[in-house]
Amino acid sequence: MSALLRLLGIGLALLLAQAVARVVLPTLAQPDLVLVYALALGLRGGGVQGLLLAFGAGFVEDVLSASPPGLFALLCGTACAATRLLDRALYLRAAAPWAAYVGVYTLANFALFGAAQRMFAPDSVLPWSELLVRAPGAALTTALCAAPLLHVFRRLLVEADREGSWPVLATQSARSRP
Amino acid sequence: MSELLRRFRFALCYFALASLCALGMASRKAPAEIGFAPRLVLNLSLPLERMVTLPLSELRGVWGDYLALVGVREENERLRGRLARAEEENHQYREAILSSERFQKLAGFRAQREIPMVPANVIHQDLSPWFQSLIIDQGAAAGIRPGMPVITDSGVVGLVSGTTPGASKVLLVVDPQSRVDAYVERTRARGTVRGTSGHDCDFEYVLRHENIEEGDLLLTSGMGTVYPKGLVVGRVASVDRKTSGLFLGAKITPAVDFSRLEEVFVILEQRQIPAEESFSAADEGLWPAATSAPKTLAGDAAKAQPSGAPKAPARDVPKPAPAAPAAPKRAAHKPAAVDPKPADTPAAPQ
Repeated sequence: MSALLRLLGIGLALLLAQAVARVVLPTLAQPDLVLVYALALGLRGGGVQGLLLAFGAGFVEDVLSASPPGLFALLCGTACAATRLLDRALYLRAAAPWAAYVGVYTLANFALFGAAQRMFAPDSVLPWSELLVRAPGAALTTALCAAPLLHVFRRLLVEADREGSWPVLATQSARSRP
Repeated sequence: MSELLRRFRFALCYFALASLCALGMASRKAPAEIGFAPRLVLNLSLPLERMVTLPLSELRGVWGDYLALVGVREENERLRGRLARAEEENHQYREAILSSERFQKLAGFRAQREIPMVPANVIHQDLSPWFQSLIIDQGAAAGIRPGMPVITDSGVVGLVSGTTPGASKVLLVVDPQSRVDAYVERTRARGTVRGTSGHDCDFEYVLRHENIEEGDLLLTSGMGTVYPKGLVVGRVASVDRKTSGLFLGAKITPAVDFSRLEEVFVILEQRQIPAEESFSAADEGLWPAATSAPKTLAGDAAKAQPSGAPKAPARDVPKPAPAAPAAPKRAAHKPAAVDPKPADTPAAPQ
């Protein structure tokens, strides 16, 4: 249970850190820490509970921003699912590939963001040019922030698995282990 | 079936949640009340947000207001300079507006009068505390001669007591040497206005039985031939009905505020003033370079007078001030130049 709470705590901390970053950092260099959280929850051991947490984090971001309700939740859930799919193939267990993955996925997330806006909320669409301008800086800073967090997330996920505080996660992750 | 569900649980869960999100986005309405779940999240997260952002904004305030002040001094100096320049410009504009108003007033005044006049600016005030004169920037070159009256739209200023080609000295009506024959507008009571070297004048030689009251307007009588008839001299400030003697005493407040005088008009009517009667700046020793000009002008004035014409009575002309400390030179030169009393005033004693 404590590992789960710690995961929730980290999610909250990352949310607040993102709020601070919005104030402190220039627009072109603001990391997407909620996305890092969602991506990390898709790592091996996350399972459905990780997906739920990722959607939840995105939902909170939706509520705290002026975005159409569900946009960030969808993006975070998709990020979590994408990590789950690519975890084994990309071997996301070291900081460097993890950071690279986060960076690339952040770029892809911008594309998904634009597409989702155009599909579901066409009245509040940001132009592609602006997304293109913001994407590189955000990808870089998000990747830099993600690298040191990998170890923390992996440890917490493993602890949650061992504790059994997340029963579904434990059984699911136990089955999915090689 | 349950195995299948368990196997694809993640995918099913994802699609279910993603569908919910898509549905939420698609069914979004324009400004509506926030739902229960978002409201709950907002209520829970806002205090936390505030806890983070409040100290942060305070920190930014401290940084911006106290620490990041590099260059503020230079900027302050620069802005002070700009402010000073702007204030100076503003002052000049205000001055231009005031001048324009004055000139419009003077132009209107001049248009009302048919007599030829020369406008002039006051360029100097008398330095001595005993005498009341000023210097204007128009002189003999503009046709000004000694003895010409100087007026403004408010009333009588004085008369030209000396000239150079480019400037003239004006003896004010408040100077002790000045005499102006005047009458009370309301009762036509006549007398002589004499300067006192202060800010007011005395109204002398008015018979005791004359009806004069405080506030009565005094006009020039035109009897002295210097000032045209009907110019405002001032108002009666106080009346002193003496218990004995032929005349009453009255104090006059001049119509013109001499301390704020900037523009005047010189009436170009050549008074037939004898050459020895005028005194010039050269006599006063004020303008050494122009010593010859006033004499020439005085000569011209004498020449301009017809040879057979009788001399004008010595009214409205400067009177020497024997007791005054700065006057002896002039008094020595022309002891009999002016009539000490209003000789041509019927009411005045001989």
